[in-house]
Amino acid sequence: MTVAGVFIVLLFLAAPIALVLGITAVTHILASGDLVLFESYPQQLFSGLEKYGLLAIPLFMLVGELMNEGGVTTRLIRAARVFVGAYRGGLAYVNLLANMMMASIVGSAAAQIAVMSRVMTPEMTRQGYSPAFAAATTAAGGLLSPIIPPSMLFVIYGVLAQIPIGDMFMAGILPGLLLAFGFMCAIAFVGWRIGFPEGEAIKGKAARQALLQAAPSALVPAIIIGGILGGIATPTESAALAALSAAGLGLFVYRDLKLSALPRLFRETAITSSVVLFLIAAANVFGWIILHEQIPQNVAAWLNGLTQNPFVFLLLVNILLLGVGAMLDGIAAMIIVVPILLPIAQTSYGIDPFHFGVVISINLVLGLLTPPVGAGLYIAAAASNVKPGEIFRALSPFLIATLIALIILSWQPVIVTALIR
Amino acid sequence: MTIRPIPILSTLSRRLAGVEAIAAGLLAAAVAGLILLNVATRTAGAALFWVDELAIYAMVWMGFLGMSITIQRRSGVSVTILTDALPPRLHRAAALLVDGIILAFSVFLLWLCWRWYDPLTLASVSYSVDAFVGETFNFIYREPTQTIGVAKYWVWLIVPLTAAAMTVHALANLLEALRSPHAAQVP
Repeated sequence: MTVAGVFIVLLFLAAPIALVLGITAVTHILASGDLVLFESYPQQLFSGLEKYGLLAIPLFMLVGELMNEGGVTTRLIRAARVFVGAYRGGLAYVNLLANMMMASIVGSAAAQIAVMSRVMTPEMTRQGYSPAFAAATTAAGGLLSPIIPPSMLFVIYGVLAQIPIGDMFMAGILPGLLLAFGFMCAIAFVGWRIGFPEGEAIKGKAARQALLQAAPSALVPAIIIGGILGGIATPTESAALAALSAAGLGLFVYRDLKLSALPRLFRETAITSSVVLFLIAAANVFGWIILHEQIPQNVAAWLNGLTQNPFVFLLLVNILLLGVGAMLDGIAAMIIVVPILLPIAQTSYGIDPFHFGVVISINLVLGLLTPPVGAGLYIAAAASNVKPGEIFRALSPFLIATLIALIILSWQPVIVTALIR
Repeated sequence: MTIRPIPILSTLSRRLAGVEAIAAGLLAAAVAGLILLNVATRTAGAALFWVDELAIYAMVWMGFLGMSITIQRRSGVSVTILTDALPPRLHRAAALLVDGIILAFSVFLLWLCWRWYDPLTLASVSYSVDAFVGETFNFIYREPTQTIGVAKYWVWLIVPLTAAAMTVHALANLLEALRSPHAAQVP
């Protein structure tokens, strides 16, 4: 009980969550009198990071940094406009399509929302969309990032659940498309309610040029998805190859990337990845508590009294996690929650670990857009000069679409497992 | 002549974080380079068996250096809903308390590392690993790495180094926050 108290007090004092986990573990050791654990405490922090799969985290971060700096984003958006720019409300769909392409390159929703808000929101506002709707569409599009591979969240889940990360990436493809389809319906619904401005089509020579310019960018997602799908490369290796090709594109093809910028990009990659790695290292000592206190067994006993049905169990988990995700950062929430809930899902309810992973990932990224802690909401607000509250209201069709997608996915595991070999 | 320990400590903390950032950036580049080397050598049919392990250690070292920078910049992920709602005085008190807790944890981690490496006992047995193991049942100096041919305690050294750096950063942050009249926590 003291241990839980320390955890909650430190968490709400705004101590860094990684340290909250580490200090709670110290309290647990003191309370349980199992002082011999202190002898392996520093080593346990180290071994939390000693995993091959985690190499993908800095590498995918690096791909993102290189793509942003290399001017790939703007070229992808121009190409997307060729496809759907001419229809009424076209730019809203362009936004979504561009977000889908970005999602297949960038692995983090917050990073994607930050980039896309700066590019897409002003453009949509200029064409006559309401700024709140423009910001909401962009922010919702960012939710595709952790579902469509590559995904930082999936890498972390794969490491926590000890399942192949490549298969986890495959598992995300159909749910990502389902989510994108849901967002298209949401845009169509808003368009039907309030009407959208005409699209500006790109035609003829300009269209061909836009497509030609963007074509080399397709190399990066092709390497990532192709390498993993074909079983030629591990996700870690595909990430390194993608980083190499992104650097090549930026330096030699688009020439927006300067060689002198590389040291800064590597430094930023290292520091932003470390925020995540810190949490993972601390989670390894925190794991002692979950193990010794038999938390999964206790929660399972309680849940078994409520339901035997896997679908009902997943719905309960969804409700719980919507609450957790609204308070905690998605990655931190995943690190705390997976070691507790995954054993229950697997042993008590026979739920496939890939299925469970996709459902809780979508659920937890939703927390990015919901107050009080929605980082994505604040990033979108800061980038577009619209109040977070207004964006949140404009987001409601997208949030409803996400909830419906979550229910469908909880109900039908085959959408997740169909593409896994 | 007056010695002003707080500015000296702050400067030390900032310089240290600068060095850590450069080292972490180099390690990030090393991770990418090593994985690419692995792909290249394997495609050429001459795979190098030690590359993966070295890449993992580069990533772990990068991660630990970054953790220390995260402490220095106060940029770790945290839940701020409650503290943001507090009046300024209480907000400042909470921030100071957190700085103090971070310092206490850093010192504690450093002490755990000291006990783990136990340099005094090692010195007392004239650096004989056998005698050290017989005395303490601590196998730290016996643990090998898998493929890179270096004793594991060299690789593990990043933990005490990080704990020491975190102590410097946490102390500097706490003293700066105590000195400044404004709220310490940068949102």
